Amino acid sequence: MNAMLNTFQQADHPVLPKADADERARQEFTKSLKGFVQSGLLPGLGPVFGARAAKHFEREHGRAPADRHDIRKAMLVDPYFQTYAATNRIAQELLWDSVIDSIERQLPALEAEAAALSATARAPLETSPDFATPRYVTALDIHCMPGGYAEPGGIAAGALYDRGVYLYSMGYMGPTNDDMGRSVANYIRRRMPDFQPTRILDMGCTVGHSTLPYKEAFPDAEVIGIDVAGPQIRYAHARAAGLGADVGFLQRNAEATGFPDASFDLIVSHILLHETSGKAMPAIMRECHRLLKPGGVMIHADLPPFNLMDPFTQFILDNETWYNNEPFWGAMREIDQIALARSVGFAEPYFDTAPMAIMEFAAAAESYTEEAAEALAEREFTAGEYAPGGGWEVLIGVKS
Amino acid sequence: MSLRRDARGKRPQFYADPAMDQAMSMIMVLAEEYSALRDRLDTVERVATSAGLAAAIEAYEPPQDVLELREARRQAFLSRLFYLARKDATDAAENSSDASFTATINDIAKG
Repeated sequence: MNAMLNTFQQADHPVLPKADADERARQEFTKSLKGFVQSGLLPGLGPVFGARAAKHFEREHGRAPADRHDIRKAMLVDPYFQTYAATNRIAQELLWDSVIDSIERQLPALEAEAAALSATARAPLETSPDFATPRYVTALDIHCMPGGYAEPGGIAAGALYDRGVYLYSMGYMGPTNDDMGRSVANYIRRRMPDFQPTRILDMGCTVGHSTLPYKEAFPDAEVIGIDVAGPQIRYAHARAAGLGADVGFLQRNAEATGFPDASFDLIVSHILLHETSGKAMPAIMRECHRLLKPGGVMIHADLPPFNLMDPFTQFILDNETWYNNEPFWGAMREIDQIALARSVGFAEPYFDTAPMAIMEFAAAAESYTEEAAEALAEREFTAGEYAPGGGWEVLIGVKS
Repeated sequence: MSLRRDARGKRPQFYADPAMDQAMSMIMVLAEEYSALRDRLDTVERVATSAGLAAAIEAYEPPQDVLELREARRQAFLSRLFYLARKDATDAAENSSDASFTATINDIAKG
């Protein structure tokens, strides 16, 4: 990745906040800084741990660090780790702040544009002022995004998420931030060629980044995105209309969606489960099983469990819990997801890898150079880097 | 219209002295602003010859070769900014320490 020059640029659409020259330069800086933390600082953590932090821990405790908790103790006092973690956090804070500037400057115009676009769309938009947003979404501002997903207001939180997440992911998700949905949709078409879903539900869809690729892959299907955050849903609906996609967005809770039994052929989610809770995650799995028709497929693209990786990798990943307001990130990785899926009725749930669709972007957008896309697709998985090399972990369950 | 600027959730303290956390964040804001200024200056230089300078700056869309140039410059700048962290990691990887440094001096004094 060191050699890769990341000049990825987000594709414009009518409700995307537009940056002026200085805002854009600051946003580019935060993206560069995140990239540098990953390629310039992250690789030093291993040597620093091996050469001194582990030895220091051993002198103090009379034993070697045994698990990720010990490693964390050893590293917290190390100045190199302090600089790595502090800089990563600061990059995250600067990123959101640089986008808020753009939004504050043009919010009334964006709101008007969103309302006009939504009015032209055929697909439904449903939000409710009385909606009870679950505590796991409101207690902390996840990803340190000021206000969080569900900050009351029209579409501001959706606009902040759309632009912010593009910078957060450094463009690794493609010009429309849709790599996860695109990758899973590709996976379905290639690995389940006879599966033709006619009703598709995307749970925890936020602004619909990953939802839209399903409409592209299955143009005859009815595609619906649900999320607990009203501003995300409103923005998603306008964004989809602006991009010419006929996709419905409803403010619903994935734990209890309100849809009748056997409503869907395909239910997907992308990085949703780790933003829920110990009680919500099993409830969501149960709801998936209830909502699927017989033969229907559930696919959750999220985080692989900790027991599949070594303690140092676990430690690096767990930094998200502590420094990026990801309260369920660590606990979620301790859950036996296969056993959970089985317990709600899926006979043979399994993990697989959906290859990243990144190479497709090289053909579609100039800033996604062939070279950079290749470097991204072919790298090995490295803990602490955004997005895996190669592909996304998917948990799959088929309803009997 | 003003949006919330602070994320809910206690901010972690990374350094032993909380003043160092503040200093580090201020340094990074300065770095951000320096980088933004460099981008603006670069744009100014590129559009200076054309009419309607200010509007042209706002409207300027950097082409791919300029995107690459700017990103390479930002990464080079960050490498310079973090040169001590790099040195620290290199020392760790090469088992270079105060003890090995002193040992070398002692060795050379004798040899």
